[in-house]
Amino acid sequence: MRRLLALLLVMQAFNVSAALAKSRLVEVIITDPFIEMHSGPGRGYPVTYVVGRDDTVTVLYSRTEWYKVRAPSGQEGWVRRSDLARARLASGEPAPIPPYPDFATHRWEVGAGYGVFNHQNLVTGYVDFSLTDSLDAEFVLQQAFGTIDNRYLATIGLRHTFIPEWKWFSPTAGIGTGYQYIDDKVPPKPLETHNQMAYVSLGVRGFITRRFMWRADWRKYDVFTHQNENEEPEEWKFGLAVFF
Amino acid sequence: MEIRLSSVLLAAALLSGCGWFHRGEKPSNQVVVDEPAGEPSIIEPQVNRRVVKTPKIKAKDVELGAYFGALSIQDFGTNPLYGVRAAYHVSEDLFLEGFLARSKAGTTSLQDVFPNITVLSDAGRHFTYYDINLGYNVLPGEIFLGRGHAFNSQLYVTVGMGDVKFAEKDQFAINFGVGDRLLITDWLALHLDVRDHVFETDLTGRVKNVHNIEATLGITTFF
Repeated sequence: MRRLLALLLVMQAFNVSAALAKSRLVEVIITDPFIEMHSGPGRGYPVTYVVGRDDTVTVLYSRTEWYKVRAPSGQEGWVRRSDLARARLASGEPAPIPPYPDFATHRWEVGAGYGVFNHQNLVTGYVDFSLTDSLDAEFVLQQAFGTIDNRYLATIGLRHTFIPEWKWFSPTAGIGTGYQYIDDKVPPKPLETHNQMAYVSLGVRGFITRRFMWRADWRKYDVFTHQNENEEPEEWKFGLAVFF
Repeated sequence: MEIRLSSVLLAAALLSGCGWFHRGEKPSNQVVVDEPAGEPSIIEPQVNRRVVKTPKIKAKDVELGAYFGALSIQDFGTNPLYGVRAAYHVSEDLFLEGFLARSKAGTTSLQDVFPNITVLSDAGRHFTYYDINLGYNVLPGEIFLGRGHAFNSQLYVTVGMGDVKFAEKDQFAINFGVGDRLLITDWLALHLDVRDHVFETDLTGRVKNVHNIEATLGITTFF
């Protein structure tokens, strides 16, 4: 009996949470003569239903540039972002479809790419945070694959974008510091496995589409060693990134 | 004179500082009612403006899941493979994805003939990789199961790079593959993938490119 009661309580809790989740969904009123609902989130999927002007649809969630909605009849389908953006809330305000982040003033960037570090293949991944429209802080993790050793590089730096409002091609320059770890593949062991380093960089960035962009960078490192001379490797890389 | 000037400067600095401390404050919510002088109103309205917060629409662009399959390691037989995957859908066509997987190599044909030869240590037989890929949905469509069921699906191609750790050495590897994402519901997907990991090795005596082809079945959910 007690178990049954507990089960009922749990089910009730689920019901309440489901009801709460439902109440948090956005309902919009269609202002176009009609909009088409597709069977999938893509331009080629067939139109399965049509909602007319003044119909209220519930917006469930989005995927890329498509929104899954429920019509008053209970029929569900995917509508194009641009169609839904013209709809209104019951209060008369425009539907809360957030605009795509502006490329010139975006805050976050996450990307990955391929490069060449000292004639070795390089895999790179990075996170970038904009301090101002033209100044970014970048955090980069890289792995360079050599024939005698592998290097892991972690760097943090500042990057200046010269003309952030140039959308397709904008030059950048940066400085930073970091750390490298050398993992030897074949003997003999390297003289030093951990080194601090500093770099200067020159690069370009550009917009591709929506939240997508590219970057190309050249870096010159100064690896601080205990030997008579510091090591000065060079690096080229190209990457793709998503910005928010 | 100098003392006076510096005290004036100090006062100015303090005042500007006070302004700085107050910059985050919100204006008072109380409604100010203009009353004609000498006529106190009986009811003082204390109605605050109601703020209606429109809920956010959830974006489900991230796909997370796991996969299982067979990896054919060149010269070392075909072996089970386990991995996890994550993807971010940038547009209806493009996505970025990452993989992390592990398998264990068997013996070479040479060892079947000469059982006493050791090519790889036990730790060296582990084949571990990570990949960072760019994918493109080339053939989106529907798959029909009988008369009553249609599932959305996307045939996609991917290309990428990463690290393969095999024989206790990390090697740079490129990979290219083709796969199909079959959406059971709009948030749950089945994946069928075939992918080739290519890297350079000298494990069998001479430097050559080896092709390691995997066929996997995966399940993912959208968040």
